[in-house]
Amino acid sequence: MFQPHSFLWHYLWVAPNLLLAVLAIILWKRGLHKKLRGFFLYAWFQAVQCAVLFPMDHMPSISGSTYAFVYLISELLESVIVFVLVADLFAGLFDAYPALAHVGKVMLRWAGGLLFIVAVVVGAFAPLENEVWVLGAIKILQQGMYIVVSGLVLLLFASAAYFGLVWEHRIFGIALGLGISACVHLATWGLEANEVLTERATLLYMANMATTHVVVLMWFYYLLVPRPALTETRGTPTDDQLAVWNRELERLLNLRQR
Amino acid sequence: MTLAILLIVAAALSLVGIVTAAIAHALQVSSEDNLAGQIRPLDIEAFRNLADPSEEAYLRRFLPAAEFRKVRRARLHALAAYVQVAGKNAALLVRMGQRALASSDEATAEAARQLVNLALLMRRNAAIVLLRILIARAWPATGSAAVPILDGYNRLSGAAMLLGRLQNPAATLRILLM
Repeated sequence: MFQPHSFLWHYLWVAPNLLLAVLAIILWKRGLHKKLRGFFLYAWFQAVQCAVLFPMDHMPSISGSTYAFVYLISELLESVIVFVLVADLFAGLFDAYPALAHVGKVMLRWAGGLLFIVAVVVGAFAPLENEVWVLGAIKILQQGMYIVVSGLVLLLFASAAYFGLVWEHRIFGIALGLGISACVHLATWGLEANEVLTERATLLYMANMATTHVVVLMWFYYLLVPRPALTETRGTPTDDQLAVWNRELERLLNLRQR
Repeated sequence: MTLAILLIVAAALSLVGIVTAAIAHALQVSSEDNLAGQIRPLDIEAFRNLADPSEEAYLRRFLPAAEFRKVRRARLHALAAYVQVAGKNAALLVRMGQRALASSDEATAEAARQLVNLALLMRRNAAIVLLRILIARAWPATGSAAVPILDGYNRLSGAAMLLGRLQNPAATLRILLM
């Protein structure tokens, strides 16, 4: 069951990507693809990547090194697309608040740059002993990508909590799913890239695929289940609270008059 | 091996951080807390005194250098406490403003937008000022750290009062009559 090319393996590889393609089609039909451009692009890319790599994996005429090389190229493209998605999430959260729009851009730029440097340094320490260098490069690239992505998503949640921002629920769902997926992938690719638990590599891949599956189902929920619109809450203050406000206002007025 | 363990720890901590923030956000959105009751009033006069550069210049002129550094550290410690309260109040005002953003009344929604923007600027500035205070505590000879935040807090109070007046005119009447 937990073997490469078992039924579970094939299911976990194909099902999440198929579901992502279905989700992308539904988003397009509902006109949400314009609002969630980064995610729409990401969903299509994942589906197309699976449609290319899955048959290649089963074709006897395709050698292991050719497959690995195509996989590496697709991972390079994925890195760019995931970064576009993260930038879209930052814009989705911060652009709703004019006072913070610039802060969001600056944070993305600086934190992205710093995390990239960390990823390069960590990658430089990883062993590259494989006879097929492409396999080592894939692992280091994945490790680096998830260092950057998990760091940026963590920063996004931390800054939203610090400023007390209210997320648009679709953006929240995408960010939460991406964050969970990135953290699990960081742990597994960290082990892989550093040649730890190599005998359990299949289990690590399957853990990644299972996480992706759960996250895709989460995205279905957050992107397709409607939320009730926000209503105004007055939160009428009590007399005691008003007295405090009055006292402070008077103090302010007195200070200004001095 | 060590690097792999470090990466696993980092991934686990990030995951805990993200999930905790997500749960806190979900609870915050669904709760109907009495936010106004959580606001801690600030003694603006004492705050102004602590942030006043002329007060500092006076102390610098009349105290021996070692004594001045000691006094300045104590003043910066107190100032940091004030800035933290101001920042927390700003976060509560962001939440209050956001709840009022959905108002059907145009003037209330606009006042809420202004309050949210001012409170967010205040929250951002509080973080910057706390960083400056931290630096100033390490090197007490550097310049004053918190003057701009005081004006911001005054503007924020004005915006909060405006929103309160629009949401609850009867309460405003009582404010003016007191």
